[in-house]
Amino acid sequence: MKRTLIATAFAGLALPTAALADCGRVSVAEMNWASGQIITRITEFLMTQGYGCEVTVVPSATTTAITSLAENNEPDVVPELWVNSAPAYFRLEAEGQLVKAADVFAEGGSENWWVPDYLVEAHPELATIEGILANPELVGGRFHNCPDGWGCRIANDNLITAFDFAGNGMEVFNHGSGDTLPASMAAAYENREPWFGYYWGPTAVLGRYNMVAVDMGPHVPEIHECNQTQDCGTPGISSYPAAPVLTVVTTDFAERKPEVFELVSNISFGTQELSNLLAWQADNSASAEEAAVYFLTTSQDTWRGWINDAAAERLSAILQ
Amino acid sequence: MATYDFLFNGLGLRDWCDQVATPGPMSMADLLARGAGSQSEKSWMQSLWELPFPSLDALNQACPAVARSRDLTRWLEQSFLNIKDPMKVVLDPMTQPLSWALETALHIFTTTPWWVMLPLMLALVWVASRSWTLLGFVGGALAFLLFVDHYSFAMQTMSIIFVCAFLCVLFGVPIGIAMSRSDTMQRLTIPVLDMLQTLPTFVYLIPLIFLFSVTEPKLYGIAIILYAIVPVIRLTDLGIRLVNKDVIEAAEAFGMTRHQKLVGVQIPLALPNIMAGVNQTIMMSLAMVVIASLVSAPGLGVLVLRGIRNLELGVGLMAGLGIVLLAVILDRVTKAALARVNAAASVPRH
Repeated sequence: MKRTLIATAFAGLALPTAALADCGRVSVAEMNWASGQIITRITEFLMTQGYGCEVTVVPSATTTAITSLAENNEPDVVPELWVNSAPAYFRLEAEGQLVKAADVFAEGGSENWWVPDYLVEAHPELATIEGILANPELVGGRFHNCPDGWGCRIANDNLITAFDFAGNGMEVFNHGSGDTLPASMAAAYENREPWFGYYWGPTAVLGRYNMVAVDMGPHVPEIHECNQTQDCGTPGISSYPAAPVLTVVTTDFAERKPEVFELVSNISFGTQELSNLLAWQADNSASAEEAAVYFLTTSQDTWRGWINDAAAERLSAILQ
Repeated sequence: MATYDFLFNGLGLRDWCDQVATPGPMSMADLLARGAGSQSEKSWMQSLWELPFPSLDALNQACPAVARSRDLTRWLEQSFLNIKDPMKVVLDPMTQPLSWALETALHIFTTTPWWVMLPLMLALVWVASRSWTLLGFVGGALAFLLFVDHYSFAMQTMSIIFVCAFLCVLFGVPIGIAMSRSDTMQRLTIPVLDMLQTLPTFVYLIPLIFLFSVTEPKLYGIAIILYAIVPVIRLTDLGIRLVNKDVIEAAEAFGMTRHQKLVGVQIPLALPNIMAGVNQTIMMSLAMVVIASLVSAPGLGVLVLRGIRNLELGVGLMAGLGIVLLAVILDRVTKAALARVNAAASVPRH
């Protein structure tokens, strides 16, 4: 009696994966922020349902993912790795341990300095860095900087020297973690108070609050390169370029499962597409999984192009 | 068909339910079910096995008018945003002295030159412990921190601990005394203390950012105090309650008032326990140093975080060693002071 019950229960679980192609086990990292989680859920769905993989989702973050890749050659797939904040990636790629599968954000991530829209509406000159430095009191006289140990901290510190914040009466507040930085932005926005600081997108926070990117002049690659090093002798003025945001896989995985590797290298989102998705998720207080389902059901044209014919056939039953 | 349809149909609430027919987002299970098709009718045993608890989400599936659990969390968020302005008016000025105290202490500890600070601290150790071995150890540890250029970070950490531990004792001991004198007070306080020890710090720290500016030092001050105040409260309460009943009776026989009894008998006899509480409070403030650095507290915690984030294991280990050294110093000195208190307590008074 008891055995029948358990057998029935398991039959229910095993049903969807039965009769699919043999792909084996794949571990996929899940970053601890909204867009990363959605991308992981979409990847998981396509791998499981389209390619018959047994996917293990590994909760992770930038540093933990890159450390684990370096030391254990796991997880197999890491979506949405902001490689600028994980410099170890470049060494591992040069050593041939990792392969870049795709630019998961087709246009790259945007790093910038931001002010809330209501400030710019009231004082249009705050849209440029010159206007802000001329009126530091209008933005609260304070720049919200990255935490110690982040890649952007070094670049910001050099830009702060280049723009002569101290001489212009602009204080710098160094945040202790990536949690208080968006919280301070949200708190300021809710109270319609001034705020001026660094952030990056596409993120849930920037999707939720209307922030205006401060015009910091053109991007000059040589200057930015120097700004990104700790001991840059001559910090200069250069805005941020589009940040590379990659899906990274282990070389071992790319060789072992060329079919799935091909899928992973096709998964890529437009900035607008992802921002809309994040906005939808926030409006509906949806989970990452529900946001993934929303994307899978509403943007079929996008992901149809990512999968091969065999997978498209297997998925056709689920998604008309 | 949702499991609890029968409930709403039976109660005649179907019309009310379908007024708001806004279906929630589709879940992964729904999507997969679409692929499996409706042909696989579940056996009764399988549907029994999968019977959901009548939770908000399960009821919402049967009746869209019932709120989902995410509506509950959204409502919580909204009500916090609604009451934050009045809360800010009350809490902001009330906690402002904490910011001033932390800023002043940081200023004093970091601007005093090391050749003033070092003898001062050694003198303090001597007064507290009267032990040459301990004096030698503390001198050696501080000299080591100076030698490896971690002294200024260690002093920042020390100044934060100093202020927070002092405030913990200042507020904790009276609360502990109040608890020991009233059973109702004790019953009410203990759950709060349990909560303070277990509630993850960031759960209340991030909402606090909406009340105070994130740049205020009081943010980490509050985090440290709320966590570290618990042992001194508990042990003060325990210490006073453990005072021998016969002694209290004797005191009453002499016609002592409640106040005289407390100051002259209970507190002196409970002092060893209270001191043990102070020791634990200091240790727990030190344990919060790294967490406090997540809300921008300066000191060794910043180095630990930098080490973790950049995989500079050496930086992390060195800063960790610094924290351990501070912990051992503070622990040994307070323990030595405690031992002297105990020794004094056991000597009969004439």
